[in-house]
Amino acid sequence: MKTILWLQGGACGGNTLSFLNAESPDVLEFFSYYDIKLLWHPSLSLETGDKVRELLNNIVNMKINLDIFIFEGTVVLGPNGSGKFNMFAGRPMKDWVNEISKVANYVIAVGDCASFGGVPASDPNPTESTGLQFHKKEKGGFLGKDFRSRKNLPVINIPGCPAHPEWIITTLSMIINDKLTEEDLDEYQRLKIIYNTTTQFGCPRNIYFSYKVALKEFGHREGCLYFDLGCKGSYTRSPCNVILWNKQSSKTRVGTPCFGCTEFDFPTFNFFVTEKNRSGIPKRLPLGVSRGAYTTLSAIARASAPEFLVKPLIKKKEDRGNWLE
Amino acid sequence: MSSKIISPFNRVEGDLDVEVKFERNKVIDAKIISRLFRGIEIILKGKNPLDALVITPRVCGICGASHLYASASALDMIYNAEVPINAIRLRNVLSMAETCQNDLRHTYFMFLIDVLNNKYHDYANFEEVIRRWAPIQGSSYKECFKWSKKYTEVYAIFGGQWPHGSAIIPGGITADPLPNEIQRAISILLDLKKNYLEKVILGGPINQFLDTVKSYNDLLQWAEDYKEGDLAKILEFGLEANWHKLGYGSGIMLSYGHLPTEEYVGTPSKKYFKPGIYFAKEKEYREFDQRNVLEFVNSSYYTYSKGDQTGLHPFEGETNPNLDEKNKKKYSLTKCFRYKLDGKLIAPEAGALAMLSVTGNPLILDLIDKIGPSVLSRVVARLVRVLIYNELMLQELNNFEFGKPTYKKPSEVKEGMGYGLVEAPRGALGHWVVVKNEKILNYQIVTPTQINMSPEDPLGNKSHMALALIGTEVSDVNNPIEVHHIVRSHDACMVCNVHMLKLI
Ligand code: SF4
Repeated sequence: MKTILWLQGGACGGNTLSFLNAESPDVLEFFSYYDIKLLWHPSLSLETGDKVRELLNNIVNMKINLDIFIFEGTVVLGPNGSGKFNMFAGRPMKDWVNEISKVANYVIAVGDCASFGGVPASDPNPTESTGLQFHKKEKGGFLGKDFRSRKNLPVINIPGCPAHPEWIITTLSMIINDKLTEEDLDEYQRLKIIYNTTTQFGCPRNIYFSYKVALKEFGHREGCLYFDLGCKGSYTRSPCNVILWNKQSSKTRVGTPCFGCTEFDFPTFNFFVTEKNRSGIPKRLPLGVSRGAYTTLSAIARASAPEFLVKPLIKKKEDRGNWLE
Repeated sequence: MSSKIISPFNRVEGDLDVEVKFERNKVIDAKIISRLFRGIEIILKGKNPLDALVITPRVCGICGASHLYASASALDMIYNAEVPINAIRLRNVLSMAETCQNDLRHTYFMFLIDVLNNKYHDYANFEEVIRRWAPIQGSSYKECFKWSKKYTEVYAIFGGQWPHGSAIIPGGITADPLPNEIQRAISILLDLKKNYLEKVILGGPINQFLDTVKSYNDLLQWAEDYKEGDLAKILEFGLEANWHKLGYGSGIMLSYGHLPTEEYVGTPSKKYFKPGIYFAKEKEYREFDQRNVLEFVNSSYYTYSKGDQTGLHPFEGETNPNLDEKNKKKYSLTKCFRYKLDGKLIAPEAGALAMLSVTGNPLILDLIDKIGPSVLSRVVARLVRVLIYNELMLQELNNFEFGKPTYKKPSEVKEGMGYGLVEAPRGALGHWVVVKNEKILNYQIVTPTQINMSPEDPLGNKSHMALALIGTEVSDVNNPIEVHHIVRSHDACMVCNVHMLKLI
């Protein structure tokens, strides 16, 4: 039997809610198939009050074995390092996190907030929030860069705002089966098998991206959102278009740009806008592409774009001209 | 007088402490305390107005679409955007799908499992209730687990993902669905209707329920006729447990209205659910005017530049946290919401019950009349709303006109002021935005939980929730389950943990 404790710091609860959407297995099946005991979760457990404090204390003094500590949300240090912007069970949450991390076999940061600081830690970081082992790009975070859990692993990050339930279940099942090793993690301590591709993989607009056919305004199925509308799909590592959301779709499929929410620098702000340099080329290029190569490739690609891509396929009665470029 | 701390108080979306003072077994005073601050309004300052569409859904993982809807509506007003009817229909579907997901999950995961409490062990139908509602094991608990996420599928078809989609934008919606996608969503909703809402929740046909159940007596009759539904069991158990005599509160219902019905420019004039204020005892309806909304910080850990006794309208609102624990008058990180009516400050109730009574739903009005704005009424109202919404989503999708736009690009503006008012799952939610030089100058979010659970205002008026608690007789001060019911019946949302501090 493995035990899990799930706590929330400076969080919106989105990762919990996302987890509840898991399918095959769903959360209840997952717990029973793998003989998992959920010691406590703030919105799923029956125990309240003293019983929870007792449990937490028993975990900290190791009377109860804790296999997996999952933390959602930022570690709140404000105001002035006191942690009092986030009190939990009578103490600053940061103190619980510190003590519990020391006794857990594995420590998991679920979501962008716990991984990197996410929205609360963004400029000007009014709550002095930080991630468990990263603060944005910097390794360190709340637990320090040398932190290792009892199984000698750093914090395992499952970033995403929120994390997809299948990413969470995959990570947990690898841990439960003792299959997760340090080699499985990338430089941001994310599971490589999940975060090795970009959001662009599997995006239906990818063919428009290849031929540099840009979508100029929202509300259309065709055209790529990268050139004008701020899509970060070509340089964000996530499988959003391969492992679909809620079994159905993804942001770029419904015409919403990718905001890069699995990355350390989320939120970057000025979403919905692609910043360009003077020659009109996007400032941020697709992952691993040089400026020279991009410029050459763009010219050729645009010149060879098939006509059926350049002309909208689905025209509506009230459309005012072309929305592709 | 001794004091005992029960903390954390879980299964409420958020960070909340409830301090209850007892005299013998009666609650004589209550304070609602929030101890989580995330500073979203501060983060939004100086950012591109459209960034709010990405940041504000992250205020809450369970009702992000409501924040998105409020945010986009405020920007619609600033940009004087034309919003096509197709966009309105899809926006409405997104909002309703999320709310249904919430109302079901709240009912089964957060509220109903309290029936396992010791107090109820010798109730006649305790075993039946356990069989249905016990966490993880109960049959209806499991059904809710399985079906509630289907609403998030409906959401994702048009919103890309749930939680935290950002498909609603000023001027419409980013999606451009094909008929097969509309059909897929309709099929999921029909599946929910036939195989979940009718079978598990209602025990009978939805259309018959909505057409014929117009009063409290009709509802009791329904429970007689369709005994197998959870609704019947909730009524039966709730009446035995006196949930109909619990947690009345202010008796003043507030709703911002919800779901526009037709194309508009800037701001909608007609909504399916109308806005207003309803006085339960007097049975009196009053118009709502957003200009009368005020926020106070005299009891909250914030300071105002004009002094903490001042009330500010959200357009002038300030967010300056100051955790000055020496100032004993301050105790919460929630600002105090008040509405100015006839020169008085009122502290209304918000939520499904408020929304449906303000709009004049006959069943809900009669329910309030017969069993008060009680814990039981709130639980019933939330389920009734799911039934209404499921039907309305089907209607909106059936009316979707393929080949017509879902978005009209608004012209750019450099400055302006706008507000977006919606009904979130937990009630009236407003975003007030001031834009200057193409940047956000001020962004103020006023949440329904804040309306229900404000601290005291400068005149010492208590919030609705404090009033709902005061006077409650608990059967056992060491197990004040009645207090839990009252707090949870409001679907409190401060996102994360709840502490109850009990002073005896
Ligand atoms: S840039 Fe965005 S819209 Fe374009 S192909 Fe990549 S993920 Fe899809």
